Amino acid sequence: MNRFLSKDFLAGVMFIAFGLIALYFGRNLAVGTTVRMGPGYVPHMLSYIMLVLGLIISVIALIYGGEITEAPKWRPITMVTIGIIAFALLLETTGMFPALVALVFIASLGGDEFKLWEVIANTVVLTILCILVFKVGLAMNIAVLNGVW
Amino acid sequence: MDMLHNLTLGFSVALSFQNLLYALIGCMVGTLIGVLPGIGPVATIAMLLPITFHLPPTAALIMLAGIYYGAQYGGSTTSILVNLPGEASSVVTCIDGYQMARKGRAGAALTISALGSFFAGTVGTLTIVLFAEPLTRMAQKFGPADYCSLMALGLVAAIVLANGSVLKAIAMVFLGLLFGLVGTDVNTGAQRFTFDIPELSDGIDFAPIAMGLFGIAEIVVNLEKKMSRSGAIKVTSLWPTREETKRAWPAVLRGTLLGGILGVLPGGGPTLGAFSAYTLEKKISRHPEEFGKGAVEGVAAPEAANNAAAQTSFIPMLTLGIPSNAVMALMVGAMIIQGIQPGPEVMTKKPDLFWGMIASMWIGNLMLVIINLPMIGMWVKLLTVPYRFLSPAILLFCAIGAYSLQNSTFHVEQVAMFGVLGYIFVRLGCEGAPFLLGLVLGPQMEEYFRRAMLLSRGDPMVFLQRPISLGLLVTTAILLILMALPNLRKAREQAFQEEES
Repeated sequence: MNRFLSKDFLAGVMFIAFGLIALYFGRNLAVGTTVRMGPGYVPHMLSYIMLVLGLIISVIALIYGGEITEAPKWRPITMVTIGIIAFALLLETTGMFPALVALVFIASLGGDEFKLWEVIANTVVLTILCILVFKVGLAMNIAVLNGVW
Repeated sequence: MDMLHNLTLGFSVALSFQNLLYALIGCMVGTLIGVLPGIGPVATIAMLLPITFHLPPTAALIMLAGIYYGAQYGGSTTSILVNLPGEASSVVTCIDGYQMARKGRAGAALTISALGSFFAGTVGTLTIVLFAEPLTRMAQKFGPADYCSLMALGLVAAIVLANGSVLKAIAMVFLGLLFGLVGTDVNTGAQRFTFDIPELSDGIDFAPIAMGLFGIAEIVVNLEKKMSRSGAIKVTSLWPTREETKRAWPAVLRGTLLGGILGVLPGGGPTLGAFSAYTLEKKISRHPEEFGKGAVEGVAAPEAANNAAAQTSFIPMLTLGIPSNAVMALMVGAMIIQGIQPGPEVMTKKPDLFWGMIASMWIGNLMLVIINLPMIGMWVKLLTVPYRFLSPAILLFCAIGAYSLQNSTFHVEQVAMFGVLGYIFVRLGCEGAPFLLGLVLGPQMEEYFRRAMLLSRGDPMVFLQRPISLGLLVTTAILLILMALPNLRKAREQAFQEEES
């Protein structure tokens, strides 16, 4: 069972998946001929290459085994991603300040130490810095707090 | 006399107040991230791409270049004083540099590494000046088929020198090429892989991909590790003894030469240069037993080599438009963001940008020596800032930067998405650099490929009939065959294992 969890096997599966996705979504693109290539010629070629390479990589990994993937730690990647998405959703609807607070707090939860006072201090410093750099310095068209400033 | 004329032009551009300022900012940021472990030049340049969008092209490229070679200087400082390489290219400097510091020779090690780097940087810049024109002239004779083959060679060479599995690196190049297809097809106007998202019709923007794959993924990986910090060694006298100087100079010369050559090779660059230089010194030294215990040569040679390589790796990018490593791929991306098509035309159409950038590299190297030696104490203090303060700050600047590209939150979401993808790549041992090269070269390569096939009426033999193209393809094939030879494969694996340990 271990061989199915090796880095190489999973990487091969990932490449196959990308090949299939590209084939599926590129199915309506005209391939054309080698003289007059359609928009689909190169995408199709690349998709098949991805499939073949992915297949070779995963088969080799199954036969020879390989380094096992370390179990991922979910917290950092989840918190960082949620933090950025939250920032994206809040930025235009509420302004830079709430978006910033959300990002800093959520991203800080991704680390292995979370001290409330430190995060608050960090937020204050970063807010001042961002207002100075982006609002005052670069005069960017972002509201700090929608409808207020 | 042409060269003198070009250099005068270059210096007149580089010495303008604005460009000097951006060179200084680049060098400072570069040193800063060189000192801080866990954030390298690739991630930094990726994350600063949006800012360069708001600058004039010359200033933007000068700043990015400054970050790149500034990081080489900064990385050595922490290697010597804290035994903590800030940069992959300074890993070898730790071995003997830290030992020298423990013997009370920290100042000497720092001075030797700074002056050696400066010398190597100067030679590297001169090399660019010497080779830029002939190479550009040659490149101007290239037809579409030749270009296509040249890019194939660049990509294959990058794979050969990439770390880890060759097959996975090849697959990553193709995946990069595939991502490069997203957008409107230039020849027919057909929408490819745009999923009816209007923002994607111009293709996926380069900056969010680079920021996600390199910036965000790197932060996440760092958050998973626990970072330990150790105390720094105090610096007393900065001056090396006469004996140390006598031993350092020849090593600097050899390191410069080796690094300079390795920097030009696709896939080469500072890290490869530094490792090779260290190995060479150890082999030819009359006191090999001193290595690992504070040998001066073990600091001088790799430090010179990594800086020389950082400079010469600009040669293929500036003259041919072919990036030789991830940083150069980002520079190509920065040029494209600015509306400059990298390639031989840059030198003829934008001589001020071309020569200004080269001149600024030398000025930047000079700045680094002057800034760094007196400010070492301050840089080392920075190491005490815990990572949990830095990571939210970096993420925040990333997010605002991505938004500022086109005032669109879609770009910020893309950063998050590519961050996840980049993390998956890291976990599966797939390297981001080949992906980035494929992504940058993909659209141009398709363009040249289709044009070549159109000119030859669909006959693929055109790639073998043109002598330039044939030569390049033969070189590519030789590289691939060499790769398959078991002996060489072992040697390559060994080289990378040394690097990791």
